Amino acid sequence: MEAEIKEKIVSMEKPHMEAPPDWQPVIMGILCNWCSYAGSDLTGTSRIQYPPNIRIIRVPCSSRVDPWFIIKSLQTIADGVLISGCHPGDCHYISGNYYARRRFLVTKKLLNFVGFHENRVQFSWVSAAEGAKFAKVVTKVTEDIRKLGPLHLYKKENS
Amino acid sequence: MARVGVFVCFCGANIADFVDVPAVTEEAKKIKEVKYAIEYKYMCSDPGQQMIRDAIVQHRLTSVVVAACSPRMHEKTFRKALSDAGMNPYLLEVANIREHSSWVHQKDKKAATEKASDLIRMAVAKSIANEQLHEISVPVTKRALVIGGGIAGIQAALDIADARIPVVLVEKSPSIGGRMAQLDETFPTLDCSQCILTPKMVDVASHPFIELLPYSEVMELDGYVGNYKAKIKRKASYVNFDTCTGCGACWQKCPVKVPNEFNMGIDKRKAIYSPFPQAVPNKPVIDAEHCTMLLKGKCGICAKVCEKGSIDYTMQDEIVEREIGAVVVATGYDLWDPSPYEEYGVGRYKDIITSLEFERMVSANGPTGGVPVRPSDGKVPKRVVFIKCVGSRDEAKGIEYCSKICCMYTAKHAILLHHKVHDSHAYIFYMDIRAAGKGYEEFVKRAQVETGATYLRGRVSKIYKKGENLMVRGEDAQLGQVVEVEADLVVLATAIYPYKDNPDLARLLGISYDKYGYLSEAHPKLRPVETAKAGIYLAGCTQAPKDIPDTVAQASAAAAKVCGLFAGDTLKKDPMISTVNTEFCTGCQNCVTVCPYQAIVTEEIPLGHGSKEMRIVAKVNEGVCQGCGSCVAICRSMAIDLAGFTDMQIINEIVSI
Amino acid sequence: MDYTKQIQDIAGRLFSEGKIDIFIGYRNTGFDENQVPVLIHQYKDVDQLLFTDKSVFNLANYLKYEHTRNKRVGLIVKGCDSRALNLMLTESQVKRENLYIIGIACEGVVNETGEKAQNCVECMMPDAVVYDELLGSATGKREYQVNADIRELDEKTLTDRVEYFEEIFENCIRCNACRHSCPLCYCAKCCIDQETATLFHGANTTSSAFHALMTWSLHLAGRCVDCRNCEKACPIHLPLHLLHKLNEKVIYENFQEHLAGMTEGDRGAFYKYSLSDPDDFIL
Repeated sequence: MEAEIKEKIVSMEKPHMEAPPDWQPVIMGILCNWCSYAGSDLTGTSRIQYPPNIRIIRVPCSSRVDPWFIIKSLQTIADGVLISGCHPGDCHYISGNYYARRRFLVTKKLLNFVGFHENRVQFSWVSAAEGAKFAKVVTKVTEDIRKLGPLHLYKKENS
Repeated sequence: MARVGVFVCFCGANIADFVDVPAVTEEAKKIKEVKYAIEYKYMCSDPGQQMIRDAIVQHRLTSVVVAACSPRMHEKTFRKALSDAGMNPYLLEVANIREHSSWVHQKDKKAATEKASDLIRMAVAKSIANEQLHEISVPVTKRALVIGGGIAGIQAALDIADARIPVVLVEKSPSIGGRMAQLDETFPTLDCSQCILTPKMVDVASHPFIELLPYSEVMELDGYVGNYKAKIKRKASYVNFDTCTGCGACWQKCPVKVPNEFNMGIDKRKAIYSPFPQAVPNKPVIDAEHCTMLLKGKCGICAKVCEKGSIDYTMQDEIVEREIGAVVVATGYDLWDPSPYEEYGVGRYKDIITSLEFERMVSANGPTGGVPVRPSDGKVPKRVVFIKCVGSRDEAKGIEYCSKICCMYTAKHAILLHHKVHDSHAYIFYMDIRAAGKGYEEFVKRAQVETGATYLRGRVSKIYKKGENLMVRGEDAQLGQVVEVEADLVVLATAIYPYKDNPDLARLLGISYDKYGYLSEAHPKLRPVETAKAGIYLAGCTQAPKDIPDTVAQASAAAAKVCGLFAGDTLKKDPMISTVNTEFCTGCQNCVTVCPYQAIVTEEIPLGHGSKEMRIVAKVNEGVCQGCGSCVAICRSMAIDLAGFTDMQIINEIVSI
Repeated sequence: MDYTKQIQDIAGRLFSEGKIDIFIGYRNTGFDENQVPVLIHQYKDVDQLLFTDKSVFNLANYLKYEHTRNKRVGLIVKGCDSRALNLMLTESQVKRENLYIIGIACEGVVNETGEKAQNCVECMMPDAVVYDELLGSATGKREYQVNADIRELDEKTLTDRVEYFEEIFENCIRCNACRHSCPLCYCAKCCIDQETATLFHGANTTSSAFHALMTWSLHLAGRCVDCRNCEKACPIHLPLHLLHKLNEKVIYENFQEHLAGMTEGDRGAFYKYSLSDPDDFIL
């Protein structure tokens, strides 16, 4: 029986650190209640399958997402973070996602600047009707993070 | 010391087939704070809820985690189970192991089970930080404001007033009635529009619970649901309504002539005028922009002929204030300007008119005695071409949406034309025929059969003059040919569109509007009469194009919502709102800036204990806050937090896995 | 650039006319060429004051503290300092009627080696934007330019940047001098020190420093005026401006905003939005 030759996965930011053979990425997902969480529920009712690596936190609005949620997630269990909210113009709370959008961009660029690969933190707009899109987004993000390998930057000691 | 109870649901086979529920329950027991964990087939069922209630008491639980379907399904159900057991209902957290695990990871039971365990861990950690929350009571002023006196506003006002709730009905023009008063007959019954409308208008005027403010506009709306304050400008009419008898001597003698808006500019009215004979109130007003006396100080004929001395040129606009609990916005529709269709000769050829102009012509109380005439020479047309979808469904030149009513009223116009001009022939250029209502398809069939109208499927590419008449060139797609019809009169079924100042009104009220200016409903399917702002409702075409039956239905629905809002002595509100920790608040007011509802204000508190010096801090208005958390994320000092989604709850979730 | 005489005259006049309780200015250390901030309470101390190109610190920082609260204060602000002051006014931290502001149309300050400081070389608005009187002639706004160090780091690979920043975060000792010296860091209890940050307990670890510096720079994003008080205060001489200038670049390139605090009422990029903000980074 031929042994499967699996490509070695290394941590993108620290290429000398190899992922253990059974490593699975952990994605922290933060979804807004009215659009993205509802959309992710629709993915479920439609039985559309996606990788099981994401762990979802519910917030009322994408504007509730403080950059420290992203930072704390990356410093504990997460190898990547996905934040999802309502499409611009459709925010249940009128303008929340507009403010969030600005914060998201600057946080992403700052993290990239200090060494996090830009795919470590990703964002999406998923409406309550876009069950299929949610599955596609999670699949893409999971695969992106899998390729980047485990995150080894600034993890809290003993976490 | 936290004592969490975990209740894992099999959900029949929905969860159990893909997640190892017993293993998940065992895993939950290993969490330090979990003192009790059990699984059951259907947690939402009566026995399931009983298990939760019993466990709360027997194991002295401090919070409850139910691992089952999405919280959007049954959070309310399980909260009620908690409160039935004497526990604060907000000490519940739901772990979504169905929509977020068993249903979407069906090919990997091990991974789905692990994920379910993680989701429970997160919910347990969050629930430990849950606080006891109590529904908030805000006072409610039981008076409604209805903006707009068309059929939508009239219906809403009558329904609310019939429930013995006072209504203030504000209408911009001198009379209520709106578009429906301009119609001759209505589809599909061909009821005389005025005949079915005027009784309602009279009801409004005489209803003991309705305060009618005609010739008025809403200038300001402050406050929040149950506690609004409206400022309304009552425009000066220069006529004393108390003494005026509506005899009409004034407008008969007035020398000034102005294009008559009610008749779409076809004829003229006077500077002192009542919009139409059945106007309610049936008292004239002076149009200050055209009255010679008000502009130049000359004339004054109306005052001279008025037997009652009701004319008062010194009247001023008046601002009145009303305390309001809820608002129904029913400002109706305008017609889209078809000028972009230059190829139709709009504005160039006199005999090209809009559907509302045609409607006025065929109306008995219209400017042409109820018979359509050609504007160019006053002759009665025999060959009339109706063009549907002028502006509607046209991404290139017009708007994307369908105006919904034009297929029906064009069929109606074909019938009315046939009734008024027996030897006439109608040609109707159409893309589709949308006749989805009750009796609608039958009505269109009737139009086709009774009148012999020629329905041509195809668009019109050009209209040009031929002698006295117009040549309409279009496509007959069913024959695959270009056709040309020589017409005496062309009627354009122009798109309907929100009034230009609808967005201004929306901003004044603090509600949203779409790219066209239609006011936005809270949810297109399930909440069509509410807006995102509590206490403000929508009715009629201000929200989207619709016909009279749907308008009336929506108006009654809005009225029902208002009555529901006013049903108790106070309003109960979801307690998941923000509160300020004044110890940390620096008074920078960034939260005030980002709040979408202007729910945050400032207050002054002593600088320190017993200090005489004051400092500014933020304060959240409990009644207005909708719980979005924008303020929490924007606050640099972490001085404001959102109940139900506090920083502590979220950090607990993050670090629990 | 020397306004020593003018400063002494104005401060003297303000005290003798009883218009202020405190004057915040600069004085010589007494043991070298450098200057430090000084708070003067009486007329007789006015001759300590001076103002030259070594008057480097942002004096608006002193408006945060107990000793100036609700007192009538005179102070000197250069271009960058005055924008920080404008932000403090917008954010209700100080009342305009309590201040007598001497604005400087700054020609740039020097660092320890005597060279013009980097932020002055790259300065986009040297003139004070809020003042009761202005010393010097205003030269106006200058074109936006990207900080030289940012340009250099942008060329580096991801792994190089990882190494570079790890060293910075490793060396931070969490003394919080940066926070204390920044005029826009006035929170009574910094969020980083609050209970929900219990992950790190203010510990002197690399991960704790990463968390603190990330959060701090994001809270200054759209507000930082590049006065470099933080860098001057840092005992480890960490290049803190890198984080702030990167945020400034991202904000300028994407939201077309920079120069925080140009007018009172302008809160900075994070407290506004535009319907046409970039969206293409979102799936």
